[in-house]
Amino acid sequence: MTTMTDTALQAAPATKARGYWATVGRRIVRDKVSMACAFILLLIFLAAIFAPYLHLADPYQGSMIRRLRFIGTPNYPLGTDELGRDMLARLIYGGRLSLLIGILPVILAFFIGTGLGVVAGYVGGKLNTAIMRTVDVFYAFPSVLLAIAISGALGAGILNSIVSLTIVFVPQITRVAESVTTGVRNMDYVEAARASGANAFTIMRVHMLGNVLGSIFVYATGLISVSMILAAGLSFLGLGTKPPEPEWGLMLNTLRTAIYVNPWVAALPGAMIFAVSICFNLLSDGMRSAMDIRN
Amino acid sequence: MFVYIARRVVYVIPIVLSVALVCFLLVHITPGDPLVAILPADASQELAQQLRVAYGFDRPLPVQFGLWLWRALHGDLGASIATGRPVLAEVLKAVGNTVTLAIAAAAIGFTLGLFFGLIAGYFRDTWVDKVATSIAIAGVSVPHYWLGMVLVIIFSVQLNWLPAVGAGPGGSGSWAWDWEHIKYLVLPAITTSVIPMGIVTRTVRALTGDILSQDFVEALRAKGLQETKVFRHVIKNAAPTALAVMGLQLGYMLGGSILIETVFSWPGSGLLLNSAIFQRDLPLLQGTILVLALFFVFLNLLVDIAQASIDPRIKRS
Amino acid sequence: MRIEKPTKSRLATAITLLTLATALTLPQVARAETVLRIGMTAADIPRTLGQPDQGFEGNRFTGNTMYDGLTGWDLSSATKASVVIPALATEWAVDDADKKKWTFKLRPGVTFHDGSAFNADAVVWNVDKVLKQDAVQFDASQVGVTASRMPTLVSAKKIDDMTVELTTKEPDSFLPINLTNLFMASPTKWQALFDKAEGADAKAKSQAAWAAFAREASGTGPWKMSKFTPRERLELVKNDAYWNKDRVPKTDKMVLLPMPEANARTAALLSGQVDWVEAPAPDAVKEITARGFKIEKNEQPHVWPWQFSRVEGSPWNDIRVRKAANLCIDREGLKDGLLAGLMVPATGTFEPGHPWRGKPTFEIKYDLKAAQALMKEAGYGPTKKLEVKTQTSASGSGQMLPLPMNEYLQQALAECYFDVKLDVIEWNTLFTNWRRGVKDPSANGSNSTNVTYAAMDPFFALVRFLQSSMAPPVSNNWGFINNPKFDELVTKARTTFDATARDAALAELHAASVDDAAFLYVAHDVGPRALSPKIKGFVQPKSWFVDFSPVSITP
Repeated sequence: MTTMTDTALQAAPATKARGYWATVGRRIVRDKVSMACAFILLLIFLAAIFAPYLHLADPYQGSMIRRLRFIGTPNYPLGTDELGRDMLARLIYGGRLSLLIGILPVILAFFIGTGLGVVAGYVGGKLNTAIMRTVDVFYAFPSVLLAIAISGALGAGILNSIVSLTIVFVPQITRVAESVTTGVRNMDYVEAARASGANAFTIMRVHMLGNVLGSIFVYATGLISVSMILAAGLSFLGLGTKPPEPEWGLMLNTLRTAIYVNPWVAALPGAMIFAVSICFNLLSDGMRSAMDIRN
Repeated sequence: MFVYIARRVVYVIPIVLSVALVCFLLVHITPGDPLVAILPADASQELAQQLRVAYGFDRPLPVQFGLWLWRALHGDLGASIATGRPVLAEVLKAVGNTVTLAIAAAAIGFTLGLFFGLIAGYFRDTWVDKVATSIAIAGVSVPHYWLGMVLVIIFSVQLNWLPAVGAGPGGSGSWAWDWEHIKYLVLPAITTSVIPMGIVTRTVRALTGDILSQDFVEALRAKGLQETKVFRHVIKNAAPTALAVMGLQLGYMLGGSILIETVFSWPGSGLLLNSAIFQRDLPLLQGTILVLALFFVFLNLLVDIAQASIDPRIKRS
Repeated sequence: MRIEKPTKSRLATAITLLTLATALTLPQVARAETVLRIGMTAADIPRTLGQPDQGFEGNRFTGNTMYDGLTGWDLSSATKASVVIPALATEWAVDDADKKKWTFKLRPGVTFHDGSAFNADAVVWNVDKVLKQDAVQFDASQVGVTASRMPTLVSAKKIDDMTVELTTKEPDSFLPINLTNLFMASPTKWQALFDKAEGADAKAKSQAAWAAFAREASGTGPWKMSKFTPRERLELVKNDAYWNKDRVPKTDKMVLLPMPEANARTAALLSGQVDWVEAPAPDAVKEITARGFKIEKNEQPHVWPWQFSRVEGSPWNDIRVRKAANLCIDREGLKDGLLAGLMVPATGTFEPGHPWRGKPTFEIKYDLKAAQALMKEAGYGPTKKLEVKTQTSASGSGQMLPLPMNEYLQQALAECYFDVKLDVIEWNTLFTNWRRGVKDPSANGSNSTNVTYAAMDPFFALVRFLQSSMAPPVSNNWGFINNPKFDELVTKARTTFDATARDAALAELHAASVDDAAFLYVAHDVGPRALSPKIKGFVQPKSWFVDFSPVSITP
């Protein structure tokens, strides 16, 4: 986290220059790994969004006769699950919920955490103490434990897992946002703006958010991979999505009984989680080094 | 330094109390009857009421919290509703098993992480670096419960080399460090080790790169110092931070073991948490969460203090 | 041995010693300790202190093994119905003048594992542990599972050393059946632990004594506790001094391991970690049999039903609709297609051959034409579907494969002009609502519920669902069935004290409920278990329980 803040601070003054984001953009486009990841993710996203137009089998329609077909069976390229439902369709449709419960908590936490962190960092004083000490309490739990404890308390359900994961990520983002904001606040040009009598809201909006958001954004994209794994993990334990919805974690759970019959079909949903998670991680790394103008 | 440590320790007290409050509230907002574990659905209402009174669930929540906290401060976390056994003993025994797993995983993760990190940092931007970094990134990106399942499919189902579940032929009660028992530990430990492995690799790689690019290393090399000495210098400088990172990872492994322990039926704190959630055993649930969270808090404290005493510049807020 | 002994004598001594040693070891090699290792479905070892939790699986493994009740189940036959037989009581009778009083004659010469004698005092002590709140051994944690299974028992009184008198709230001919659930723990052993226990007051000491008793259990059963690792492992050894010589175990030791994951159990069996698993994963059955293991199964007193709402406005109030649903399900297709043969099609709560079956006139089978005709008669058709909603859960004890099975029903019933909506909720919530009834908001507007039930005892199999006074919040008459005929037959059965006549009355009640299509009867569980080929002498009775005594295992 220390290096994170340093990078952000280094990058901050450069933001004033128009060309900064253009440079970052150019650097990212030149990074083959990032582009490949972005492409794979785009493909998975588009497939999930436009699933109904892809002429897939009905992901809910099962059949007792064609259960657990192997990968490569005619008409069922990726086989069928324990209820005879088409795996290809379920994996593609599964992306809808899996990506939603994996990404939405990070987006929500990004807004809530940035809000809290920037306010705490900018206003300082008692408000900072109040916000940061509350955040510390939640930060004191290991994230998996907190997510599971909250989901266990709220009960299974899509909404509940989104809520619990958001609660897990808000403290982490708030901390980053607060430390970056505090850093930026003490920089000369902000001090100067304050001295020249600009009102607090304008300073926050113009100078700080612009400088701060970039680094928080990079941090948050790094969280998406964790969030995907955790969200699917909750469903895997039976604390997330409820059957018969297609969702990768839940599919992994219900297919576990089939590992003696058709192991590789049972392992497919996990491969999807892995693919998405690693792509987000690589993309986030790519973005981070693209934004690190130092070298 | 002493003032820093004292402040850090004092600051832990309100955190501990708040953590206890959060544990309690989390568990008590749970919908459903707290006595579901011992009260069949066909039990009469008067029987239900009689038991609710016997267990003290009829009292106001603040009173229940006060009592629980007071007893917890005296080392008594109450008794499990489902089994009647003392919660603290159950949790500590389970944590012991998780620690066995975590230490094995940490040993694997740290050794491999150090190795990959060093060679990646040393041979920066070569194919060696690329391979090592790919392994690291795969380690932090893989859904570990799925990796566990895949390992079971390969090594237990298909090859029949290693047992799929459990903690030894006689259960964890008769655990010993011999092959008969260790073979039960292999798959869960490898599965648990991938995340710390990835994180240690990345940390050590960055550190190695930084150290090697420092001016005095260049100077040493220019003076004709042997590469092994340079290497030793790198290790000496990278080790403390890598250890601190590993320490934090140990905390995550203890608190986040639930998924892996569920896959391998490893009788640790995660599996205990899982059964407490699904049996709605409130005293056991809040006790397990509390103990795990406190472990994490104190481990963080230790790492902070250790880091601050090694390098006074790093004073984490 | 002394060094200065002559060589010849030394050699002789050596030979003698060697022979002796061989003689001593040989028989031991021949009779190496035989161990039976079992993977249970429970997530934890059921409680060991006398009154097990974890439902009937608990009774199976830590109840009937270490303990006996006054009455027990006949588990010796795979074909006959399992009925109640004498256990620690040899005979019993209700008082002719006051039908609320029963006398039980106790079996002489029975001792607990700690050596103390079983007698009338022990019976009174064990009744008090769950029913007498001011008794020092009263334990709230054991009350829930016990009291609800013997709802009418009030108290016990010693008549003489070998006779007790039990009193019920109201005349209740089911009492001897209920008493299979009250296990006799050793008061002497408990008292010794109580005296050693530390605690602020008697209540705390009592709690500590029970916790200790759970670790050093003492009952009268055919198995004795030898080693207990909570949550992981329970080791039982055979009780050579068991009072029923025919039921002294043929195996020296039995190890019980909790393995809640069907996968994990299957893996443990296939890799030789255990010799026996309960409920193997249906998908793995082929693999298991292919590797030479045996699948044992038999019809169990268990029903997988839809329980109908009968409140005002429920579509199920029309008997034609209820009958149509019962005729519309291809249960054989369900059995072979989805459950790998691991179910018995249900044609009522009890199947033919059971003493409580009776002679229903409505024959439950798959007859699509008849079902469609009934629906048309009731005013429905391909263009006018009848919408029904059922609550179920994704998992739960005894629920078999709830979602796939319900989806199967959904598809099947669509053929008979039903439009089935499934409300999938969490198991605990479903279970709680089962008690609160269809009128409770938690029923979510559903008009049937899918909670499976055990049908060992007439109260649990029939009375609590059919009697109008059992409507919520009293008991599980979830849909508020109010049928005077059922009420009358329940009263008749409960007050008929001759066992044969009582069974006839119960059969009459059961036949009436089938004729009324009171439930959508779908399946009976078969208690599947997979056994290593080394296991011999196993009999799977038509029961939730199993007798482990005749089981032997070749090492």
